[in-house]
Amino acid sequence: MKECIAMLLAGGQGTRLYALTKKLAKPAVPFGGKYRIIDFPLSNCVNSGIDTVGVLTQYQPLLLNEYIGNGQPWDLDRLYGGVHVLQPYQTATGSDWYKGTANAIYQNINFIERYDPQYVIILSGDHIYKMDYAKMLAFHKEREADCTIAVMEVPWEEASRFGIMTADENSIVTKFEEKPKEPKSNLASMGIYIFTWEKLRKYLTEDEADKTSSNDFGKNIIPNMLGDKQRMVAYPFEGYWKDVGTIDSLWEANMDLLDPNVPLDVWDPEWKIYSRTSGCPGHYIGTEAHVDNSTLTEGCFVEGTVANSVLFAEARVGKGATVESTILMPGAVVEEGAEVYYSIIAENVTVKKGATVGARPETVEDKSKWGVAVVGEGVTIGENASVGPKAMLEKDVQDGEKLW
Amino acid sequence: MVNINALGVIFPNTYDDLVPQLVQHRTMASVPFGGRYRMIDFTLSGMVNAGIENVTVIAKKNYHSLMDHLGSGREWDLVRKRGGLNIVPPFAQSSAKVYHGRVEALNSILGFLAQQREKYVVISDCNIASSLNFAELINAHVKSGANVTMVYERREIAKQFATDNYTFTLDGTGRVTEIRWNDYRVGEQNLSMGLIVMDREELIAMVKDAVVQNRMYLERDILGPSLKTLRVQGYEYTGYRARIYDVKSYFDENMRLLCPENVAALFPAERPVYTKVRDEAPVRYAMDCKVRRCVVADGCIIEGEIENCIVFRGVKISKGAVVKNCVLMQGTVIEPGVSMEYIVTDKDVAITMGKALRGNESFPVYIEKGTTV
Repeated sequence: MKECIAMLLAGGQGTRLYALTKKLAKPAVPFGGKYRIIDFPLSNCVNSGIDTVGVLTQYQPLLLNEYIGNGQPWDLDRLYGGVHVLQPYQTATGSDWYKGTANAIYQNINFIERYDPQYVIILSGDHIYKMDYAKMLAFHKEREADCTIAVMEVPWEEASRFGIMTADENSIVTKFEEKPKEPKSNLASMGIYIFTWEKLRKYLTEDEADKTSSNDFGKNIIPNMLGDKQRMVAYPFEGYWKDVGTIDSLWEANMDLLDPNVPLDVWDPEWKIYSRTSGCPGHYIGTEAHVDNSTLTEGCFVEGTVANSVLFAEARVGKGATVESTILMPGAVVEEGAEVYYSIIAENVTVKKGATVGARPETVEDKSKWGVAVVGEGVTIGENASVGPKAMLEKDVQDGEKLW
Repeated sequence: MVNINALGVIFPNTYDDLVPQLVQHRTMASVPFGGRYRMIDFTLSGMVNAGIENVTVIAKKNYHSLMDHLGSGREWDLVRKRGGLNIVPPFAQSSAKVYHGRVEALNSILGFLAQQREKYVVISDCNIASSLNFAELINAHVKSGANVTMVYERREIAKQFATDNYTFTLDGTGRVTEIRWNDYRVGEQNLSMGLIVMDREELIAMVKDAVVQNRMYLERDILGPSLKTLRVQGYEYTGYRARIYDVKSYFDENMRLLCPENVAALFPAERPVYTKVRDEAPVRYAMDCKVRRCVVADGCIIEGEIENCIVFRGVKISKGAVVKNCVLMQGTVIEPGVSMEYIVTDKDVAITMGKALRGNESFPVYIEKGTTV
């Protein structure tokens, strides 16, 4: 028996990441120099003492499956428990894709019951944050809650983008609204729920029987429980949390790592973020290189200028090249004299000699035309080609071609 | 890759005497090298990359750091039901004294060797980091039909190891006709790299005979006198190698990795070098830091100025510090205003505020593990 197990929703396509999630699921998107997004919830689990995690995958699962493997990098290779990748499957009566977040859990009730847990924590694979789930579980028990929802204060002007909770002075949730036009509160749900398993199983089963339901936690399960006056409490979280579901937020979250004033600290030895490592030698900074306010990892090779950027394993920056306010994912190459500004360059992209990608915001007069440029996995940008800001490239660009 | 029919035997303590400072708390095998590795990583990874799945490490002393580094052998993919990594500490009960030569050490694992299935044995020390292709070596041995293949490099004998080396005389076919012990001649020699390939059962018979006859050293007492009857073949290694024989060579060989060609030669993409994973975060280069010509491993925070340095994992260089031509091992902390040149800091050394330390290119200064300056 396990007191609490985690179910991690990792099936999302991440459509708003466009080229970056064409071949991989959102939780597998590289983040922060040597991580993938899913490393954060997985590391939080193991650091919080949760040693059993079901990872629900559906969209483009190949890379994610391979990455998680037996779970050893997160210390989740266990005799009893550990990490398990759960994909939709066939049964004697038929088969179904995961219809919604609640249905994904419903279809894996058998997995959960193998561990006979008292509590289940529902996590999602598209948030960057460090959180001690053990504290949240203690809060759940102390308040004798049926469901505890982690919440954080967001700026009022952004509140309409989130699921908004209204809670009384005892943290009892009195109202929940999904993306309200006129928010009554600025307490946003972080998509992290702890349920007393018995209760959740009941509501999942009832929800499944309701043919009109969209089988979603935010739209169905939470409102149904609230309607039945179940004991729902809001667990206030302070600290860094970011949904990296869009190009801008993914770029910003990477840049947050470089800002000493932002409380996202992956260097804290007490709360390590684990990942599957590249195994490359230490990175090399050349004689003519300039590196400023950036993070680099093993296997990088820099002979040019790198500023305000995040470089992943085996990223290369040639002589005289400039990389500024940019994310170079594993194996991305910026050749001699090329310039890359405010961009996300995906895995194994080559930006050839003299090419330009993206632009500094101050160089673009019409601000509506400025944005982070994205170059999708494996694309080659030809010599002296130029790709403008806000680009979203999935195909090669020929030598000398001007794309703005 | 079909697994190669050989097992590995590694001696982690050979040549400890040459670097007494570095091995005060460890073995030659666990001497940190090249930013994030230990010397044994090169030998072990070389064997694993050749398809060897059965490796025995015969430890002699100071092997805590080595055990900690190797763990279960998972990082080298040596957690196997058949074979895998096997660490053998000295068997203290049977005799009070610890063995001297390889023969005694091998004798202590004869029972184990006799039970194995692999046809060949590859024996290696850990004082040389190289990118030697073990598969090619073993295949050359099999093809030649020799009883024994011994690896050598062409180089002069430095005075630091003038009293602890073997050189070979070869005939036109590459057969070893003479094994010399501590030769006095100057100039390039066929210097042994301590790496031997031979038949497992022949090795067992040889060791048994030698023990009966009280002969201790494999090269000097067994192979040397039998070159007429045994066919011993020389195998010249011409690839990249870093031989550690004193603090100066340790410093120089680390510094050589500041040339990208050398890194490419020591770390060929198709034969990766594995090491213990420490789950360090990426390196953080702060605003206004200055970095030129450095190799830096993960987990470091660089706020000051560094040039021509090999920086191991988890090193911190504070604002206003100027560090040039240094090798900084894991966990070194350099406080603000420090200026240092030609220094080798061992693990967890702290250089406090404002200190100035200077070695020389011909005499790098070594600072012991855990020292606070």
